[in-house]
Parts: sequence; structure tokens; C-alpha cells
Amino acid sequence: MSATIRPFGMLREYLQGEKEAEVAAGQTVRQALASLGIPPEVVALVLVNDQPQEKDYFLQEGDVVKILAVIGGG
Amino acid sequence: MNGYGGQILRVNLSNGQISKEPTPPEVAREFVGGRGFGLYFLLKEVPPKADPLGPENKLIISSGPFSGLMIPGAGKCDWTTKAPLTGGYASASMGGHFTAEMKYAGLDSIILEGISPKPVYLFIDDNKIELRDASQLWGKGSMIVEKTLKDQYGEEFQVAAIGPAGENCVSFAHINHDYGRQAGRGGVGAVMGAKKVKAIVVRGTKSIPVADPDAYRKAGMELFKACKEAEMLKEWTSYGTTIVVSWCDEVGALPTRNFSAGSFEDGKNLYGPVMRQKIVITDKGCFGCPSPCGKYSRVQRYNTYVEGPEYETIGMIGSNLGLNSIEDVAHANYLCDEWGIDTISAGGVIAWAMECYEKGIFTKADTDGLELKFGNAEAVFKLIEKIAKKEGLGALLADGVKRAAQKVGKGSEKWAIHVKGMEQSAYATHNATAMLLAYMTCDVGAHHNRAWAITYDLQVGRERVAPEKVARVIWLQHFRPMFDVLGGCRLQWVELGIDRNLYLPALEAITGIHRTWEDLELVGERLWNLARLYWMREIDGFDRNWDLPAPRFYEEPPSSGATQGQITRFEDVQKLLDMYYEQRGWSPQGHPTPQTLERLGLQSFVN
Amino acid sequence: MMRLYADSSKCSGCRACLVACSLNLFQENNPKKAALVIEAHFPAPGAYKVRVCTQCGACAEVCPTGAIKINERGAYYVDMAECNLCEACVPECPESVMFVRTELADTSWKCDLCGDCVSVCGTGVLWIAETEAAVA
Repeated sequence: MSATIRPFGMLREYLQGEKEAEVAAGQTVRQALASLGIPPEVVALVLVNDQPQEKDYFLQEGDVVKILAVIGGG
Repeated sequence: MNGYGGQILRVNLSNGQISKEPTPPEVAREFVGGRGFGLYFLLKEVPPKADPLGPENKLIISSGPFSGLMIPGAGKCDWTTKAPLTGGYASASMGGHFTAEMKYAGLDSIILEGISPKPVYLFIDDNKIELRDASQLWGKGSMIVEKTLKDQYGEEFQVAAIGPAGENCVSFAHINHDYGRQAGRGGVGAVMGAKKVKAIVVRGTKSIPVADPDAYRKAGMELFKACKEAEMLKEWTSYGTTIVVSWCDEVGALPTRNFSAGSFEDGKNLYGPVMRQKIVITDKGCFGCPSPCGKYSRVQRYNTYVEGPEYETIGMIGSNLGLNSIEDVAHANYLCDEWGIDTISAGGVIAWAMECYEKGIFTKADTDGLELKFGNAEAVFKLIEKIAKKEGLGALLADGVKRAAQKVGKGSEKWAIHVKGMEQSAYATHNATAMLLAYMTCDVGAHHNRAWAITYDLQVGRERVAPEKVARVIWLQHFRPMFDVLGGCRLQWVELGIDRNLYLPALEAITGIHRTWEDLELVGERLWNLARLYWMREIDGFDRNWDLPAPRFYEEPPSSGATQGQITRFEDVQKLLDMYYEQRGWSPQGHPTPQTLERLGLQSFVN
Repeated sequence: MMRLYADSSKCSGCRACLVACSLNLFQENNPKKAALVIEAHFPAPGAYKVRVCTQCGACAEVCPTGAIKINERGAYYVDMAECNLCEACVPECPESVMFVRTELADTSWKCDLCGDCVSVCGTGVLWIAETEAAVA
């Protein structure tokens, strides 16, 4: 069972420039980020299938997760 | 002059004389526009130690080279004056459509001088410029006045108006425009009220000349294309600045109950998606903006309309006051707008008052019977009105948190969260040293707009005290305000991440002057140092003590939330300042050295 | 036949389209000389309404000098050299997007379907597509 994480912008640096990565479903977004070496604190917005979700959301099979950094703010 | 309106409008309110002079090309070359013009005129024409509310102070409104042109975010004007709130430099950036209209009327700056004997509004219709009687408008809410004037003159006119708070010279009174954009901080509205100017109404029908029309059109189209192709355009437009509420809550940057913590247990009720779903009715943008951050809302419960609340208001009036309902925050936002006070300072001073009440320093006798506890929305609504009218407790709070705490004493200075007398805006900095330094050194007081560094803190280690962090803050302080100088908005670069180099061919095609970002950042550095000289001139003994943060950020670790138990050490606060001054070429007391002034060509501005 | 469409619900009132339009029609930066209209309805109900030319041709039908012609995009436009400012076209336009303002220009003006407004609109209000008549 897997879900897809798609980092935007500078977050791709954590995936060496790759645009997406597969992660196991059944874990939280937070855990999935940690497994990819992406510190949850730099992720501002999580969109699962284009719906905003918390980082405690449990990933389901086939979920597509966009993660956005806080680029510069305010 | 290519890219400019071409004229400076001078309005002497004391004798009613209105005059125009051509915008000096050498001023345009050196100070570029917007905030640059504001500082130029402030230094040159407002005498030292002028009373901010007196006839010698001036209110300078300036557009910039981008304003009114086909450039993303070309909608900002700068309002500069000597600040009633702090006694130092005030520069407030206002979005909407005013700056464009000023330029179509041929105006680069409007300078309000003196004091009018009676309430007036300034009416500008191309070359027809008059002071008109405002006695029927005096006492009315800023948005009621805008509607009245637009009904009278037509929708082509743009209106900037003060509310009753500006008339009463509340020290953080603001100026409202386009039903929800403000020149917010430092008390610019109080200066306008002291001068008895209720509103400025402007329409212009002239075109703005550019140096190379084909290159300008091409560069403008490239900028729009970059914005439209930005990956997070859709998400940014959905939420505007409220996009960061959840993140700030999560990382301990959301001010909670007078900055006693950085996370709010009820924060989820204030997050961007919740707000969008509950109250937002339309996206609303400034002139030329493809990524409108404005979220125009209707609060059914109170039957009010408001543009907002945006992040700052959610932080300062929401979590900072313990309010957990987005409808209540939106309604309080509406009240601040109509009555005419800056939501950030209002939140800061009301939070201080709530802490005083909860600590028993205020009783109900002091609060006119209000139960001033954190979370009491009704009390907040009533207090906003009292502040605007300077009634009861409102009279004390209207002077700002620094003066209020000085007057009350009893240790309350400890929880007056400000720098230089300006209430800190909505990022809790118990453990985020770059952002803390940004607040300490911002040139108008504790405001975030110059150097927003908190993501950088999170990326490189929030508690780190290192030269790179200081360098980052300094660079941001030179670069970000350049958008205010250009008469445009920084958020396309900040939020959409577009390549800033795309702006350069546009600027050159518009003005005919070739500039690199190094050139522009040098302008930024010069303006930064000039602002510093202004503070030193206006405030006796101005030195590094004025750059210190509120003690809460080095004495009181939060007892809850993401930054529980975390605090910055005072020795690190001092170390940050030492590194900052050294990198800036300032003395250990925080004064630009003669060598720095020489390097920047600013010797002529000293004394 | 192609025409401009507008979904007002997406409009944020920025007016970038108006500047792009005046640049195209007059080579000027002056939104008052644009050929589409944004109405702002604030403070209540809090909405923008966009009016655009539908290429219905009613203006061309009444023009006594034949100044309103068809361009290479198949759209009606004003040949400004031939307009005599009689204003017969203005009341005929069902969208009120036929413009005469003699203090601004000594010709009438209208949308010529250049598409620059579509290029600068960041919220997806505007697009160009077949007219409904053509589709039907």
C-alpha cells in the first residue's frame, strides 16, 4: 500500500531534486515526511488530494500529498 | 519623466495653499520612489524634534515607478511621517488602488503640511485640486466615509480615510482605503487627524509614460507569466497570508495570550481553510495583482463585512487575545477598520491590558466594568470603540502599550511587548533568533515587514546565534523594502517564489535607468542608515538599548505549546546585536560610523 | 467566431486586464481607456462584476461610417481613423462596453480580442472561445 508525496519548490532539495516519492500508506504525514528526511517544521501546508490536512492525517492508499514550504512569509 | 507621475503636490493646510512642483530627477534617481521619497522629504523638511501631532510634521504619501503599470502587484503607496506612536520614523505601506490613481493624476508624492483650522478632505480630480469641507464626514467610520464619497463622486475615485480614532489622534490610528487596505502602523492616521484631514479623494485620467514601451510590455508579460505558472499560486490565492496560521501554531510562532506562548490550544478554529469555509465570500486584490491575498468576508453572526482577517489580525486579535472564533476575530477586525485603528497595535495593547486584569492590576473599576479576561470577545469589541474614542480605559490604551505600561507601572512594563514603542507583530519569538533580531532592529519598531526570517530560523536551527543569521536579516532589510520603494508588492517574490531578476528589465524599460539588484540593495542600505540617523536625531540618547526586545523573550519560557520551556538567553540577545552592528558598520552603541556614512555617501545628512 | 468570456465570480478587482487593454488599444497605461469593465460592489454584497464584449456586432450594424470592421482575429474593432464620434453605437451595445469619452480620446473604442487581458489575469476570470452561436 503506498501514497505519493510531492514536494513543491525548495522542499525538492530534500529529495535531491526529485519531484515525488512513494511512501507507505497507513502512517501519518508527519511520519512519512520524517522517513524522507524532510523536517516537518519546514512544511507549511499539506494538501492531500488537494484538500488541506493536518500532519497527523493517516495516509491512505493512492493519496497524493502536496507539501508546500513557507517560502518567505508576511 | 518616464515611469513617474512627474509632480509633487504640496498642500499647506494652515493657509489652504495648494502647489505643485516637478519631481526632481536627481531625487528620483537616488531615492527611486515610494518609501525612498518619503524618507527624503521627512529628513529634508520636517524639523528636528517636531511634535508628531503638530503643524511642523508632514505626512508624505508616495507612489513608485511600478505603481499603476502592468506589473504584478503594482498597487502599493508609502505613507511616511514622524510617528506619534514612537516619536521616531514611521513608514506604512498601503495596498489597493490609491497609488495607481495618484500616478494617473500625475503625482509622485502628496505632502500634507501644517494644520487645517477646520475638518477638510483633499479632493484631486486630475488638475482640479481643492480642500473641501468635511464637517458632514467628521465623526464617521472610515468605510462609511469611503462609501459616501464614492457615491458622491463615482467609482472612478479612490478614497483613503481616517476613522474617529484618527480624528482623536489615537497613537496607532490608521488610514483605511478600498474597504479594507490600510496604511497601518505608527499612528499615520493620527497625523492625518491632527491635521484635520478626514480623507483624500483622487482620480486621474492621464497615462503614465515609460521609456521603452515594447520592452516594458514584454517584461510585464514575463512577470505575469511567471506568477501564473508559480506552483503554489492556487493555494496562495485560496488562503492569502492565512496560509501560515497553522504552521505558526505548529512551530510555536503564533502569539498566544500576550505572547506568553507560541501555540494556541484552540488555534485550529483560526486556520486558513476553516476561515475560507466559514466566512470568505471573494478574493480581493490590489492593483495589478495576479495573486490576490485579500479575503473579503461576511460575518453572518454580526452582519458585518470585512476584508480579512489576514494573518497578523488572526495572530494579534485572535490567539493573542485568546479568541477562538474566526467570526469574532473578523468582527473585531471590522470594528478596528471602521473606527480606524491598527489591528496589530490594538491586539498588542489589549493583550497587555488583559494580562493586567488577570494579574489583578486592573479591577472592574479600572476597566469600566469590562471582564477583561483572555477569550472575552465582547470585551474586545467594546474596548476597540473605547480606544477610538479615548474613553475610560481606552484613553490609557490609546497611547500605546509602552506609555500605558509606564503610566501604570506595578511591573506591567515586563509584559508590554514592544520595541521602540511599537507593539510587536504576530510572530512569537521565544526561540527564533533571526526573527527576534528582525524585530529588534526593524526601522519603524517591532514590525515584521522588513525582515521576515522565521522560516530561515526553522531551516538552519532556531536557537542558533551565528553570523549567517545576522547577514540574512541584514540582506532582507535591504531587499524586501525595495518593493515599497518601487511602489509594488513583495509578495509575488515572497510567496510565489518568482525570480526577482524578472523585475529588472521591467524597471529599466519603465524608467530608462539600468539598475541591478546590487544597485537597488545599496539604495536599501542607504535608506536603512538614513532611518537610523533619523531616530538618533529625534530621540535623545537613542542607542542600543532601544534595540532590545521585550523581556518576555529572554526571561519567560512558554509553559505550553511547541516552544514550551524554550527561551533565548539575554547574552545571546546582546551577541546578536553586537554581530549586527559589526556587520552593518555601526558602533557598539548602534550608531552608523563615519566610515560607513562615507562609504554610503551619506555624510551630508549628518546633523 | 471567437469572443471573450468572463467568470465574474473569480474576479478580485485587480484591474491588470484594464491596463493591458489600454496598452493594446492606445499604447497607453490608462485603465480608463480599456474596453472591458469591472464593477465593484462594496462593502455589500462584496463582489466584482466583469462586463466584456460578446462580439454580437450590434455596434457595427448601426455605425454610419463603417468604422467598426472585422480584424484578422475575426473580431469587431474600431478603425479609429474613421470614427466620427456620432455615438450611435454606444446605446446599442447590450453589455455597455462601447466607449466614447471625448475627454480621453477623439474616437470611440471597443475590444478587439487581442487576448492580453487573458494573459495577465491571474485568477482565471477571462478566456477566449467560440461564440455560443458558432457552437450551436
